[in-house]
Amino acid sequence: MSGPVHADLVLMLLADARLPVAGHTQSGGLEPGIRDGLGTQDVPAYVDVRLRTVTEVEAATAVLAGRLLRTGAPDAAWLDLEQAWEARTPSPALRDASRRQARALLRIAHRTWPGAPAWTALAALEHPSRAVALGALAGHLGLEGRAVAHLVGYDDVQTVCAAALKLLPLDPGSVVGWVVAALPAVEAMAARASCVLDVDDLPATTHPLIEVWAQAHAATTRRLFHA
Amino acid sequence: MPDPSTTHGPTPSPLAPARALRLGVCGPVGTGKSSLIALLCRELSERLELGVVTNDIYTDEDARFLRSAGVLDADRIRAVETGACPHTAIRDDITANAMAIEELEEDYEHRLEMVLVESGGDNLTATFSPALVDVQVFVLDVAGGGDVARKGGPGIERADLLVVNKTDLGPFVGVDVPQMVADATAARGDRPVIGLSRTDRDSIDRLLSWVAGRLAEHRAGNLVPIDPGPMAAHSHAHEHPHEHPHAHADTHGGEPVGVHHN
Ligand SMILES: Nc1nc2c(ncn2[C@@H]2O[C@H](COP(=O)(O)OP(=O)(O)O)[C@@H](O)[C@H]2O)c(=O)[nH]1
Ligand SMILES: [Mg+2]
Repeated sequence: MSGPVHADLVLMLLADARLPVAGHTQSGGLEPGIRDGLGTQDVPAYVDVRLRTVTEVEAATAVLAGRLLRTGAPDAAWLDLEQAWEARTPSPALRDASRRQARALLRIAHRTWPGAPAWTALAALEHPSRAVALGALAGHLGLEGRAVAHLVGYDDVQTVCAAALKLLPLDPGSVVGWVVAALPAVEAMAARASCVLDVDDLPATTHPLIEVWAQAHAATTRRLFHA
Repeated sequence: MPDPSTTHGPTPSPLAPARALRLGVCGPVGTGKSSLIALLCRELSERLELGVVTNDIYTDEDARFLRSAGVLDADRIRAVETGACPHTAIRDDITANAMAIEELEEDYEHRLEMVLVESGGDNLTATFSPALVDVQVFVLDVAGGGDVARKGGPGIERADLLVVNKTDLGPFVGVDVPQMVADATAARGDRPVIGLSRTDRDSIDRLLSWVAGRLAEHRAGNLVPIDPGPMAAHSHAHEHPHEHPHAHADTHGGEPVGVHHN
């Protein structure tokens, strides 16, 4: 990009499923959830639970990464943030899925915005999580914390809902209704996540069942989605 | 037939690409893509450092088939999830496949010489992005019917190689194999067609010879990936000149044309 463009456009770019970052390989834990008995009627509640637990951690982590970038924080601060995210993401399968998504994102980001200071900052981490990588990229592109949190929340809702269309007998029109119905919860989550100013205030809202599902999924042989 | 090992040149030219040749295998389900990859592994794994990436709908069916075939060390066969979008994974968003290839290359310290990528069986219009593979094989089979080759499509007409597989089945499914191969050849201009059967040694040797040729080109730095394109076919044979507007998918200066993503 030659100069800064409006944040709305950056947000649309990063939220667009056509961005080639392998988003189509993710179900946000829905595939193993369905295997364990979730049905069509449970999907909206599942989306909501994620927003109040794992997704809030992701969003707050991304918000903090953007803050670290803006304040030119030292390597140690990036390591602290990554470790804080790890401590809140106990499932190795979820960590691995997140780091693969980060790698996919950074592949295209390095190519599209070569030499960005964000890449120097991220170099402190061998395998950054998606939350940290996305927060750094969004920060580089000038997105505010609230917008980054909206992005993380919205993307999570769409990931689960798009996967539901592949996994369950559904009318795509109903799924749009679910996404719209989840938007207030995305907004509320983003309001909380964007207030996090320090790594010590990072929420620690995990969800054991999502972790158990993720672990089980990583060991199954007939998957459509990576996670 | 040129022995593929003769292309295993002692000192590759310093200008030649260091990375492995990426060979894509696509085509409808059941035509024999996994079998063709198993065949190449069986024939070449003693002479070449190979890796395989699969994209089956249910992630690791193909990978498990290949591992159980015992033709290649299991760790060299990696399965990639496509979220039920096998077409996307080889064309619009190649990230997961590209990462799997890169990881294989890193894990084997960049010694791999060829990585075979199997697309999840998709419809007749799915072809690989030239950003993912250097060269691609489209596989049809005799059992799918003699008409398929004549109907055409981007992969049938413009993949680097068209394989008409399972020629041994011709008599059982009422298909005139030489006619099917001739129809395919007519649809492809100068591009090669191989009628293949695992029971026909000559045909296997022709396939190996074609692969050896592409490897040699790759090593010499002369291989330019050609995009068969996703566009509707135009008739080379000019049998139905007014049927549809021509979508020219020849390449201009190596640039893929006829690619219109939204
Ligand atoms: N008769 C015959 N069958 C073949 C040949 N090659 C593959 N097959 C069979 O075709 C079926 C589908 O093959 P597979 O490689 O799994 O197809 P894919 O879905 O394209 O990967 C299997 O039952 C193979 O054994 C061949 O040359 N002759
Ligand atoms: Mg197969």
